[in-house]
Amino acid sequence: MSTARNIPSDRGLTLRMFTTGLLLVVLYGAVVGLLIAFGVSTVVVLVFAAVILFVQYWFSDRIALFGMGGRLVTPEEEPRLHGVIDRLCALADMKKPRVAIANTDVPNAFATGRSPDTAVVCATRGLLRRLDEAELEAVIAHELSHVAHRDVAVMTIASFLGVVAGLITRIMFWTGMMGGFGNSRGGNNNGGNDNAALVELGVLVVSVVVYAISFLLTRALSRYRELAADRSGALLTGQPSALASALVKVTGDLSRIPTRDLRAAESFNAFYFTPAIAGRGVSLSTIFSTHPSLDTRLAQLARIEAELGRPS
Amino acid sequence: MGLLSTLLGRTKPVQANLDALFALPSVAITLQSAAGMTTSGRAGVCYKPPTGQGFADMQAEVTKLLSLEGGETLRTAEDAYGYHWVVIEQADIDTLVTQVHLVNSSLADAGWGPQLLCSVFGVAPLPAGEGDGDGAQVGAGRVLPSTAYLVYLFKRGTFYPFAPDGHEHRDTAEELKLKSLVADDLTVEPELDRWFPLWDVPLG
Repeated sequence: MSTARNIPSDRGLTLRMFTTGLLLVVLYGAVVGLLIAFGVSTVVVLVFAAVILFVQYWFSDRIALFGMGGRLVTPEEEPRLHGVIDRLCALADMKKPRVAIANTDVPNAFATGRSPDTAVVCATRGLLRRLDEAELEAVIAHELSHVAHRDVAVMTIASFLGVVAGLITRIMFWTGMMGGFGNSRGGNNNGGNDNAALVELGVLVVSVVVYAISFLLTRALSRYRELAADRSGALLTGQPSALASALVKVTGDLSRIPTRDLRAAESFNAFYFTPAIAGRGVSLSTIFSTHPSLDTRLAQLARIEAELGRPS
Repeated sequence: MGLLSTLLGRTKPVQANLDALFALPSVAITLQSAAGMTTSGRAGVCYKPPTGQGFADMQAEVTKLLSLEGGETLRTAEDAYGYHWVVIEQADIDTLVTQVHLVNSSLADAGWGPQLLCSVFGVAPLPAGEGDGDGAQVGAGRVLPSTAYLVYLFKRGTFYPFAPDGHEHRDTAEELKLKSLVADDLTVEPELDRWFPLWDVPLG
């Protein structure tokens, strides 16, 4: 008899996620070392970056809800959505998150909030209108998996380095523009100035490189976490095909709508069901995107479907 | 959830806890002596059917096994949320609990424990003049229409009362009364936001 319990965890996915995380940690170490070596006002930059990220993390639920125009709804207002979430939470033995609805016709859903206690799951009107019960349930299960995996916290920490590097790049650039490289830290003798200029140019270059690498790594991590949420969600409902069909429906719809007001949603620290800006079909776009390609996600779901349906 | 699972984005399916069901017969006695109520003789097992032939085969096996075992009525139903129900009618509370446990343990033993959502037992007021006077008898001796329910959450190992009152409205007073009645015999779910409503429970 095929059993849900005996489904092996996806080792490849785990390994890729672990490697990405490890590379990020290594990059952290290297950057902190470099900052100290170059004597940049490390503390200031780090504190500044930490504050920005902390605000994003701590208020992630409110920021994302505000940005998407999401409104918390009671069970009396939305019995259908609440019913689906109640049952899935009981099935997964997790605390029920708050439930919100965004009044937009773009079919999407997201989960946000710094911890399972403050989590919010938000669906758009467009999603509720387009999906049938099974598909809606599959999408909600995917979002609940983001909550259970604490993806807001993980991705906030992971993106810390990118924010630091971005800040350094900007600060260096401004100081360079203002006073010319090398003069920013007051008058030394001529030889000292040349050295300082080189050092600052070096920091600038390193920051740009670090920013680029950490950007790619966090994007990769984000894609793996999406796949992990797909997997956990599909196992929770036991119906991978419902998630697949929801993905096809929603992605098809998403690419057909203009992207102008969607772009506003792109930078929020929330976990969308599908990316707000669809890939443009260029092969390079896959390593820049926050979500895996539709094909990758469908292929994984097909594998889970096969595992679940395997006869004894 | 552990740190490792968080870092790797993994959740383990939660297994079901089945033993607490056997506290129900003593609840039936308490309900009868303290409130003139009884278990209605109807119970349902609710689960999320996963895709695939493996599960469908086992589901058929379980229903066959149960119909062989006794003459009591057994039916399956599907609710609006895509969950399946096995509904059992059996006036004797001990037999009813045993049979509900059989359905549950068959599913859990086959590895489908994570798919179990809840078991629901109907509660009904005892018809006047029945059941009392005869201390040995528990219940009305026949199946009654349920007015309220005791819901068993597998993943929590706890019970909560659910008393629907008209269209999508809960009789909270009745639920709290039931809660205080059964609190000595059962573990009642302490977190009230997990007492979710089951509007279309197909028990009758």
